[in-house]
Amino acid sequence: MLALLFILFAGLAIGCGLAVVAQRNPLYSAISLIGVFISLACLYVMLAAPFIAAVQVIVYAGAIMVLVVFVIMLLNVEQEERGRPRLKFLVPTAVALSAILIAEVAFILVSVQEFRVNPTSPPSNVGLTHSIGTQLFTRYLLPFEITSILLLMAIVGAMTLARRGGLLSPNARVVPGAQVLPLSMVDPNAEPDDLRPVEADSSDEAARTLGITDFRNQSKRD
Amino acid sequence: METAIDIVLKLVAITVAFTVVLLIVAYTVLAERRVLGLIQGRLGPNRVGYGGMLQPFADLLKFILKEDIVPDKSTRFIYFLAPVIATMAALMTMIVYPFGPEITIPFTSITIPLTIARFDVGLLYVLGITSIGVYGIMLAGWSSNNKYSLMGGLRSSAQMISYELALGLSLIGVIVLAGTLDLGQIVENQSAWHGTRWYILFNPLGFVVYLIAAIAETNRVPFDLPEAETELVAGFHTEYSAMKFALFFMAEYINMFTVSMLATTLFFGGWNVPFLDLIFARGTFIFGLISALGFIFKVCVFLFIYIWLRGTLPRFRFDQLMNFGWKILLPLALLSIFITATLIYAFPNL
Amino acid sequence: MEPQLSWYLALSAILFTIGVTGVIIKRNVIAMFMCIELMLNAVNLTFVAFASFFQDVTGQLFVFIVMTVAAAEAAVGLGIIIAIFRNRESLDVDDASILKL
Repeated sequence: MLALLFILFAGLAIGCGLAVVAQRNPLYSAISLIGVFISLACLYVMLAAPFIAAVQVIVYAGAIMVLVVFVIMLLNVEQEERGRPRLKFLVPTAVALSAILIAEVAFILVSVQEFRVNPTSPPSNVGLTHSIGTQLFTRYLLPFEITSILLLMAIVGAMTLARRGGLLSPNARVVPGAQVLPLSMVDPNAEPDDLRPVEADSSDEAARTLGITDFRNQSKRD
Repeated sequence: METAIDIVLKLVAITVAFTVVLLIVAYTVLAERRVLGLIQGRLGPNRVGYGGMLQPFADLLKFILKEDIVPDKSTRFIYFLAPVIATMAALMTMIVYPFGPEITIPFTSITIPLTIARFDVGLLYVLGITSIGVYGIMLAGWSSNNKYSLMGGLRSSAQMISYELALGLSLIGVIVLAGTLDLGQIVENQSAWHGTRWYILFNPLGFVVYLIAAIAETNRVPFDLPEAETELVAGFHTEYSAMKFALFFMAEYINMFTVSMLATTLFFGGWNVPFLDLIFARGTFIFGLISALGFIFKVCVFLFIYIWLRGTLPRFRFDQLMNFGWKILLPLALLSIFITATLIYAFPNL
Repeated sequence: MEPQLSWYLALSAILFTIGVTGVIIKRNVIAMFMCIELMLNAVNLTFVAFASFFQDVTGQLFVFIVMTVAAAEAAVGLGIIIAIFRNRESLDVDDASILKL
């Protein structure tokens, strides 16, 4: 019975994993990856780790993948176009090398003596919340606190990266007509953070202030 | 290992719970229309059957027979998958709630627990499945190939993931009070003091934060901007018609029901009817029956509060909504954790 | 027949290899990121399997920490991807192969 369940969830995980790699549309890859996460959560429950299974669904499938799907939708990612990979035989070489890797691991797994350990002897309470909690807050308190600082760093880093930097976006174009410039670009005595807008009368003046020499040929940046 | 009898019993339990939930949800829709009508000074639908009692079946017939329109350029697979995800995520949380204490069937010695599945991390399971429910809305908004749907879907999912944080944090107060994540055990803990030791007495701030966050999670007024008809046409379910729209509609009401059940279980004692154990002994059939009915009654009070809020409050603008969720509700949830932890530390024998 | 430890390890190795293949083959940077997450999950499965078979909770604690680190990495990584997309208007990894903008 347990073996049947294992084969079911393992097959689901491998199938969705292959779909992640094989799909060309990134949104379908993301949905397949959610399938992988949920089948792995079911495997964790079989391995007597219910807390980790619930945390896997909440964190991976419910938060990280929501973020990824958000980014895919906001950037409107299209399907991968065919053609022009840098190495011509990239896909067959990758598949062949990964098959060799799986063969090596299979050889090791087959030739090593197995422990005949019972996976989940009933009176054990290894995966319960209580045992994880006591260990996490007594013996492994330092990694726990460092992880929280790591998350704080991630929050600050993500906010800094996503902020449109500086006073003017690097994609600013000079438009003929009145151009609104921040005060500190025009008046060198102003504070660098002074963002009161100042209107320049012509695009020549705006270009001179911005330091753009050849603004009439502004094309897409390469 | 489970024997075949256990599996059959579980399947019967799931079927019964499923039927009960769907019936309650159908009559919640009717109750909403009638109560909203009475709040707004008119009668609701009262023609079909006596006082409108057969209205849900008329609605069901309408949904089944309506023409099913699929937009031409939509992504077909995701378009069909989204209402399925939403409804599945709404229904899957049903299995961990304790509907009553263990009852023994009279004249036999069979005891059946009134919970479908009882495991160690029940509360985390509910939070996880709620997180999965966001995908139904997001994928529906994306796959309809319609800018109103996309805006509605993105706004709705941003709202849901923002308020999930306040929801989870407000529940930590209850977890600290109970010392366990198992919902059945939490209800057992509240049966002290003759069934009046409810956790709302110890953690009222957590309850208020939980209720507001839960109303935002289920996309109900005053947080229903992403799907309101006067705003973004109908938000993420603009392009869905007939049975698929019925699935989204049902998913929303089942979510309301689930959230009410969680509030009852965690804060209002679950199936504990106050002072009932002075009249009947625990473990008898009549005790279990009255407890289960008491549970359903408390859940219906919460559903009435939902409907009442819908008839009374205006809706938030989206930036007000996000502001409220991140800058006001999240710090309040953290404050509730601190207050509860201090309470436990100061009075460990309470 | 109960699932043995080697079954779980084999599944983890297969998932890890699929992830590695994905990172090599894919050209969309978000798809590559998702394959990296697949590799992390394969390793998580190994940890949980060992924790279960040797009755030691340390493996599950490590998985907890790995999940937290993966969440942090996802946030920062997607921020970097959005910043690169704003500058180059393309999500193809081959277009981002030189450091100069």
